[in-house]
Amino acid sequence: MNEAAIENKGEIKQWNPKIIAFLCNWCSYAGADLAGVSRIQYPPTIRVVRVPCSGRINPFFIIKSLMDGWDGVVVSGCHPGDCHYISGNLVARRRFAILKDLLDFFGIEPERVQFMWASAAEGERFAVLIKKITKLMRKVGPNDRFKKKW
Amino acid sequence: MVILMGNIQEENKNIEHSMKEVAYNLLKNKEVDLIIGYAKGTIPLSSSPSFIINQKDVDNLIWDNLCHVNLARYVVPPITKIIDNENIPLKVGIVSKGCVGRSLIHLAKENQVNLENIKIIGISCNGIINRKRIEKELGEKEIIELSVMNSEIIAKGVDFVKTFFFDDYLNESCKKCKIKAPPMVSSQSNVIVGGSVESSSGEDDFSDLTEHESKTPEEKWQTIVELLSPCTRCYACREACPMCYCNLCFVDQNKPIWFGKTTDMSDIVSFHLVRAMHVAGRCVACGSCSSACPMGIDLTFITRKLEKIVKQRFDFTSGLSFDILPPMMTQKMNDKEDFMIGEH
Amino acid sequence: MTDKILKKEEIEKFYLDLSRYFNFFAPTKENGNIVFKKITDPCEIIFDFLNSKVPPKEIVFPRMETLFTYKINGKEIEIEPVNNLNEKYLIFGIRPCDAYSFNLLENFFASGKFQDDIFIEKRKNTILIGMGCNTPRQTCFCTSLDHGGHPHRMDDVDIFLTDLGDKYLMRSISKMGKAIIDKLAWLSDAQRKDVAKAVELSKKAEELIKTKVDLENIAETLKPHFDHPLWKEISENCLGCGTCAFLCPTCTCFDVIDENDHYNNRGKRIRLWDTCQFCIYTTHASGHNPRKSKIERCRNRILHKFSYYPKNYGMLGCVGCGRCIQSCPVNNDLRVIIHKIKNLEKEKIEVKIIAT
Repeated sequence: MNEAAIENKGEIKQWNPKIIAFLCNWCSYAGADLAGVSRIQYPPTIRVVRVPCSGRINPFFIIKSLMDGWDGVVVSGCHPGDCHYISGNLVARRRFAILKDLLDFFGIEPERVQFMWASAAEGERFAVLIKKITKLMRKVGPNDRFKKKW
Repeated sequence: MVILMGNIQEENKNIEHSMKEVAYNLLKNKEVDLIIGYAKGTIPLSSSPSFIINQKDVDNLIWDNLCHVNLARYVVPPITKIIDNENIPLKVGIVSKGCVGRSLIHLAKENQVNLENIKIIGISCNGIINRKRIEKELGEKEIIELSVMNSEIIAKGVDFVKTFFFDDYLNESCKKCKIKAPPMVSSQSNVIVGGSVESSSGEDDFSDLTEHESKTPEEKWQTIVELLSPCTRCYACREACPMCYCNLCFVDQNKPIWFGKTTDMSDIVSFHLVRAMHVAGRCVACGSCSSACPMGIDLTFITRKLEKIVKQRFDFTSGLSFDILPPMMTQKMNDKEDFMIGEH
Repeated sequence: MTDKILKKEEIEKFYLDLSRYFNFFAPTKENGNIVFKKITDPCEIIFDFLNSKVPPKEIVFPRMETLFTYKINGKEIEIEPVNNLNEKYLIFGIRPCDAYSFNLLENFFASGKFQDDIFIEKRKNTILIGMGCNTPRQTCFCTSLDHGGHPHRMDDVDIFLTDLGDKYLMRSISKMGKAIIDKLAWLSDAQRKDVAKAVELSKKAEELIKTKVDLENIAETLKPHFDHPLWKEISENCLGCGTCAFLCPTCTCFDVIDENDHYNNRGKRIRLWDTCQFCIYTTHASGHNPRKSKIERCRNRILHKFSYYPKNYGMLGCVGCGRCIQSCPVNNDLRVIIHKIKNLEKEKIEVKIIAT
């Protein structure tokens, strides 16, 4: 049994956050795919939405996800300079910087919304970061403050 | 542009006088077709934006510490007149305090106004009174007359007289405002008539935000909920904002419906959050949104944070220059990445 | 009919007796504004107030109201009403102008072919305890209205209170009000001098209303001026924020939307306040908008209140509370607008035409 599996086994009784992951088609989605093909284990907390580019992510998506009750949001794109559309990820980075500061100001834990870069070759990095994010999210707990009450 | 303490009413008179003179000459020399300024309101604690085309009406213009509406709001979309079946834009002179001037410059940068058709009648603003706060503090007493005298705001009612210290009862954004008059932009110097200042933003320590920022997320959320809970979703903040000129606002979009229009707290917060997001790097902190709010929500609390984020992250202050692109219109390879998650 | 006296220190008892049967709504302070809210502690009630920021219509016609919820189960849709229509409401301290506005709301919701069951039930279960204005605002103009508006108008409430300083003179107006007063046996009878004082206060309050708005034949005056350039002048500094309509006690427009909870196959239909001042209010599905600029929208608000309303229901669609004057961020004063309209008739006033 490998390390990840042991870790997973120990986590069975733990609360698993539900994280929505917006992955860019060209790097991070392929990176996640590589993690899968290479059988690198990471916690089953993310649900993937494939988008053309991290620049496609409207802050609406992130806020709406939180309102819909997702415990966390991850956005992942190509490393700066590697964007398939030249500067989509750089535009996104500015947007996310402001969004993250604002969310923090509004009292939504900054840990809930995470941004990362992962290239198509970085399956390992992708798995490590998702593990890290899941850990952080467990610390923060479920998102019930911003979730729309029914 | 130093405010002489204790001479606010005198200063207002001087501003008013020179403003009228400039406006009169602009109309007389046919440099503009229309002057947008402020006229006296019919109730205390109010002022009314006024559109003037005749020289004789210039006398109706006033300047006092209640002229809170951002007049840049009225020139997007441009005011036009149909002459011979053609839509001809009018030349407009706008009475501009610092923030109105900045809005116009920023709107020009976004290609929303054509500065060729605009004359900025610059005046050096000495702060806008936070009328909502005065109303709230007086509670259930009606003000019949309000005047500013020697660094004090005097509110008179039927059976009471109450004074407020002028500097304490300004809009939160006005208290920290460093740009009192429209900034002088070298390439467009002919646009500005009247007073102006060198375009520099000065230092701002954002000390008013430290208290909130040091709170835990739970406490921050509580503060925000307390601040926004009276919101009735009338969108007066949006309509009063010169930067909110979208044809269809995101809350009005219904294909698909993005954000609920209900008064559920999560809907209210998301509206204000996304609106803040949309005016980030564009907001000039005029405080027009708070003054317009019928429920007296102090939205400058949020716009101050926007100013801070944009200043600290991108070293940008909106509406000061034609040469620097606003942060959300551009990007840099070496932008800070401290907010992103990495392996270490 | 004998008038009763409610001493101010007896309010607690009054509250405890009535809150057993009713949801007791009373003016209270929230975030610095006066609002009508359900009270859980009689100490929260504010007696010395001018008028609430948001009109008490929000109790029977709330800002947001769920009409029903639905569950989707395969191809079947299950609909469940959510409103508990048996709840009883009591609005304590409602001002005469706001009480009169309930009649106007009834016109809209409860007359004609289409009737609103939720509103009708709620209205039926609502008791109004009015309170006369001893200190009307500068912007109040209820006395100018043709329904006999008065700061101490009693006709629209069930029980009417007059503030006599340390006590209230209590008068039952409707049968329901009488039944309530009869139940409260501990109330003391009013002396003749108390009644006299109330009459005096009523007169004094009327004199305090200095604002006179000439509304005579306003509907007739408005009729020929639909395309008058005056509307441009009136609307030129309007921001289109809709504050005037949101805080109006007589405005009844609403928007109906479905909120879907697609994760759980359920949803609800919600009614929300809407206003003719918004550009999307009249936007058609095709994208065409018959009221495309604020000129038409501003005109619609005035015409609806002062021309269409009299035509449809035989009364003016305004109660003279002055909230729109108080809250307009650009001070687009209704009194000035009506004055301008009235002057159209008297003399050909010069209307400045700025833009087209």
